[in-house]
Amino acid sequence: MKQTITIIAAFAFSILFYEKNLGLNLSIFSVITIAFLIFYNPKKFKDKTVILHTLAYILTAGLVFMQHSYLSMIANCVVFFTLVGAVSEPKTSIYVNWLNGLYTAVAGFFHRKFEVDNTSNIDQPKTKIDILHWAKLIGIPSVFIAVFILLYKNGNPLFSDLVSKIDFSFINVQWVLFSVLGYYLFHNISKPIQVEPATTTDVKTTNELFQSEHFSEEKLKKEKQLGTTLIGLLNLLIVLFIITDITYLMSNDAVRASVLSSQVHSGINTLIASIIIAIVIILYFFRGNLNFYTENKTLKHLTYLWIFLNATLIVLIAIKNQNYITSFGLTYKRIGVHVYILLALIGLITTFVKVLDIKNLVFLFRRNTQIAFVALILLSTVNWDCLITKYNLNTAKEFDIDYLIRLSDRNAALLYEKKDDILISTANKNRIEMKYSAYQNDLKQSTWQEWSYENFSLNNELTISK
Amino acid sequence: MNLPSNLAKSCLLASVIFWIIIGSESVDTTAFLFVFLSMIPIVLVVSFTIIITICPFFWVSRSGAFNHQTVFKTYFPYYAIVAFGICTFGIIVSDFDIYMIAFFTSAFITTSQCWIWFAKEK
Repeated sequence: MKQTITIIAAFAFSILFYEKNLGLNLSIFSVITIAFLIFYNPKKFKDKTVILHTLAYILTAGLVFMQHSYLSMIANCVVFFTLVGAVSEPKTSIYVNWLNGLYTAVAGFFHRKFEVDNTSNIDQPKTKIDILHWAKLIGIPSVFIAVFILLYKNGNPLFSDLVSKIDFSFINVQWVLFSVLGYYLFHNISKPIQVEPATTTDVKTTNELFQSEHFSEEKLKKEKQLGTTLIGLLNLLIVLFIITDITYLMSNDAVRASVLSSQVHSGINTLIASIIIAIVIILYFFRGNLNFYTENKTLKHLTYLWIFLNATLIVLIAIKNQNYITSFGLTYKRIGVHVYILLALIGLITTFVKVLDIKNLVFLFRRNTQIAFVALILLSTVNWDCLITKYNLNTAKEFDIDYLIRLSDRNAALLYEKKDDILISTANKNRIEMKYSAYQNDLKQSTWQEWSYENFSLNNELTISK
Repeated sequence: MNLPSNLAKSCLLASVIFWIIIGSESVDTTAFLFVFLSMIPIVLVVSFTIIITICPFFWVSRSGAFNHQTVFKTYFPYYAIVAFGICTFGIIVSDFDIYMIAFFTSAFITTSQCWIWFAKEK
């Protein structure tokens, strides 16, 4: 029964993906995968973490259909690996889920083959079908018969005529091989496996930091002095920098594009690097026994202040980036800077929690990867091409029409709708029209496996226009 | 470690997978010469890959307390993930060229199977 279901899933895989672009097929595949995993691992789906990941997978499946963006497809794949990893062991950190999920999907077959071979050496006599023997029994004679048929074909014209009348063209070998790939994938995920010792170690590791046995007060005193001096001086430096930065921001209302551009590009990279170094310095001082040292209050307060000042720095970077966006429009890079800034801010907050509640490094990795995972899903809910186009045409002081035309087809309808309302050259208008007609053609020619929400909205538009 | 036997089995497996995938596109009697000729590069590539990327794990573990099964359980997951990544990347970069698909698929399956053959040895 279980084999039959895997074979059916493998054929469904071929029907969905063979020579097709991604679209509705990925959403259907997600649903099939969930049903398949529930069928093979019903008990695991009573766990809250697994249920939560399943819901996230359904959400991303819906997003693939609705948004049809690369980001939603990447998010869907990441959630797939996370879900498979969570089914293998729900209590692990998210990055171990990724490891387990990836390993299961990629090499689960080989891992299980190794384990079966290993246990069968010690275990009872075999009761299962010997697949390898059957493969040899069918495969080797088939290969040799094929070889000899092709050799004899050249030796005898009558035999050649006879062979040429046999027509196997109705069998698409590549489709069959693709189904084998589908079988391999579904067979792999049917019983998710764990990477050891990574999984066991992760399950055993808590988020708490414990005082070690070698607690030397003298050493800690010296370390505290170093930390207090360093972070104290860095606090002074950052205060000075923030004051000058605020003064500069307030005194430069109209900055030239080239100046603002170079400021944003070089300045933001440097500042973000400084924030990451700040986090590393904090983690170094609060890595061990200094957390339990009774006279660490000054150092802790200076650290909190430094985290707060770094957060202020992040706000200033965000303001600079936003000024740049307001003046010259949205682009993927500028959105990327905002996302990067947001993640750096979250990194600072989790570092603050780590110092405050005396947590270990694993806590930081766990929380930050979880947040990055949620951020990926949330970011994939937005049609960025459309948002960039809308913002640039409606709000930005200047916009680069060439950039907007070069974006993916997901803004084609919007550009086409707005082309007469904006001041652009006739050549660019023609380019927009060409982009829109190419987009319409693509949608019309797409098969049901490649459909997305855009197909339905286009059909509605066509019905209304008729 | 029975290296010669494992290399022979791996070469055979690699060439079968490689030519099955190539053959799925078209079968030609004149291609038989190439099938036999291809054994030379296949033997070279397979031997080189296995000796350079798989054998060191087992050689290094000889000196420690690791047995072959432990080596497999500890290192194979990471090896498989990295190998899969490289193979997928190669296939995508080649724009899904059938020869590249055949090459990388046979490389991934052969190396993974080779790990099992080494791990099963007593």
